[in-house]
Amino acid sequence: MGPFLIRRIGHMLGVLTAVLIIVSVLLRLIPGDPVDVIMAGNPGITEEDKQALRDQLGLNDPIVVQVGNYAGGLVRGDFGDSLRFRTPVRPLIMEKLPPTIELTIFAMLIAVMIAVPLGLITALQRDRPADYIGSVLAVLGISIPSFLLGILLILFFAVEWRIFPASGYGGSFSSALWHFVTSGDLGPLKKSFRYLILPGVTLGVAVSAYNARIIRSTMVEVLRQDYVRYAQAKGMPNRVVYIGHAFRNALIPVVTILGLQIGYLLSGAFVIENVFAWPGIGRFSVQALGWRDYPVVQGVVMITAVIFLSINLLVDLLYVAIDPRIRYR
Amino acid sequence: MTDATVASIDTSPVPALRLASPQAPWKDLLRKLRKSVKGMTGAALVSLAILAALTAPLLAPYSPTKQTVRAKFADPIFKDSESDYILGGDNLGRDILSRILYGSRASLSIGFLVTVAAATVGSIAGGFAGYRGGLVDTLVMRLVDLQLSIPFILLAMIVLAIMGPGFWSVFVALAVALWVNYARLVRGETLRIRDMEYVVAARTIGVDERRILIKHILPNVIHSILVLATLDMAFVIIFEASLTFLGLGIQPPTPTWGFMLSEGRNYLQESPWMSVFPGLAIILTVVGINLLGDWLRDTFDPSLRNR
Repeated sequence: MGPFLIRRIGHMLGVLTAVLIIVSVLLRLIPGDPVDVIMAGNPGITEEDKQALRDQLGLNDPIVVQVGNYAGGLVRGDFGDSLRFRTPVRPLIMEKLPPTIELTIFAMLIAVMIAVPLGLITALQRDRPADYIGSVLAVLGISIPSFLLGILLILFFAVEWRIFPASGYGGSFSSALWHFVTSGDLGPLKKSFRYLILPGVTLGVAVSAYNARIIRSTMVEVLRQDYVRYAQAKGMPNRVVYIGHAFRNALIPVVTILGLQIGYLLSGAFVIENVFAWPGIGRFSVQALGWRDYPVVQGVVMITAVIFLSINLLVDLLYVAIDPRIRYR
Repeated sequence: MTDATVASIDTSPVPALRLASPQAPWKDLLRKLRKSVKGMTGAALVSLAILAALTAPLLAPYSPTKQTVRAKFADPIFKDSESDYILGGDNLGRDILSRILYGSRASLSIGFLVTVAAATVGSIAGGFAGYRGGLVDTLVMRLVDLQLSIPFILLAMIVLAIMGPGFWSVFVALAVALWVNYARLVRGETLRIRDMEYVVAARTIGVDERRILIKHILPNVIHSILVLATLDMAFVIIFEASLTFLGLGIQPPTPTWGFMLSEGRNYLQESPWMSVFPGLAIILTVVGINLLGDWLRDTFDPSLRNR
């Protein structure tokens, strides 16, 4: 385990370095001058002023020095300054991070809550009507773009039936939860949940459809195994065989792709946040792209990469817990 | 081998050989397709989309970009039987049906171009990596590892930041994201096949590398590539629509389903049709491609039927 962990963290640092170099080199090749972006709307500016600002921002340094400075800053937790807000990037991103994380976790829960029963039922009812209906639902779930599903949910649940708000943010779910635990006041939690539900479901559906298909196919395979037949033969109740024996093994491939799915959910969150006006890093970075605020874009890319890689490391460690056959050396 | 022996083989016609003529696999595939509900549904939906893209100028009742005051928020024909606009008009008075027909062009062309590019580049890289091994293999696979460590959206953001929004940015972002799948697939197969006797034999008699890759290894992976490419095309169409919806993809005035939805979103109350119809177009096309891809996978590799 020890050497594996060290190698794995080494790999992670390698990837991060590569991402850092690629992003910072490429972003400096972009046509257009950041100084023009900063100075936009200041007509009285002279060429000397611009030159002074370029010196101050280090834009006249060789690209290697610039990338080195940026990397040095990163190590100290400094992501540079936003061109638009003229404030450090890190607090800007950190402020937008919790809503995205809450949305992603909630979507993941939704995905599991839909995928597990759907996958189990279709596997156990194989080649019967329930299986066909489930399969059709799964193909639909995979084929519908998340932003479109979001619009349709808004159309029905917000515009037509007025059950949930069409968009916006109801405050942090975790702090509302904490508030409920400490004071017993359910209000903020309800509000936060009402805003969370539509974007969460939207984001969760595509992943759940995909997972349901995987759970179904693995279950079908596992149910054919000798140990399942043996357990049934010795008179074990089906419920125990299905859940305790078969399902546990059907879960392994799902956990295997869990790490990749976090990436997928993050990608989805970038789109969904814009549909529902969710104040997370996805919406923020699309705005930053529009403002040509590249330090922000770069910061989002770096922070997301760190989160994504850390989760993947965790998932790798999780395999061991689920599948005792796997041992890392 | 002398010419005489070759001639003696050629002169005795073997009927069984005719079955293996190059056309047979296609006929066989079509025959299987006709028997499958899944395959036929997929093929029908995909054909419909392709037909729309090819004949948009003939089928579309109006120009997709022309704005007419009378068409502004016009009801579709099933709500108002007097309406001149079958699927209604949008916020700027453009015919929704015409825009959907033309919009299929953007979706299908990006889906097709990206998959062809990713499959070609990925297969070549994977083939050489697997066949040559050594440094080439290490380089290609490290690149693949790196790419798989970064979520797609970050890649897209980098590309979009550099190239700005547009058709070719979407193309580059998606092609760069997808080539790795083909590289991994083809490399794996190449590693398996390259030391098989018939390949070793070919190498021994001096067949060059390119010919071995094309004549001996490609036929073994082409089915898997085809399945992957079909399913990828669905992914590409969804992501193009998503990026365009965000304003980062193909820019107006080119009619696209993604942009129609992004406009329609603002008028959900007044005119849900602006969103519903382009949405249906995307769903039907992607469902069709996914069904066709599933069917291809079932057909080419029955062991994967339950996946």
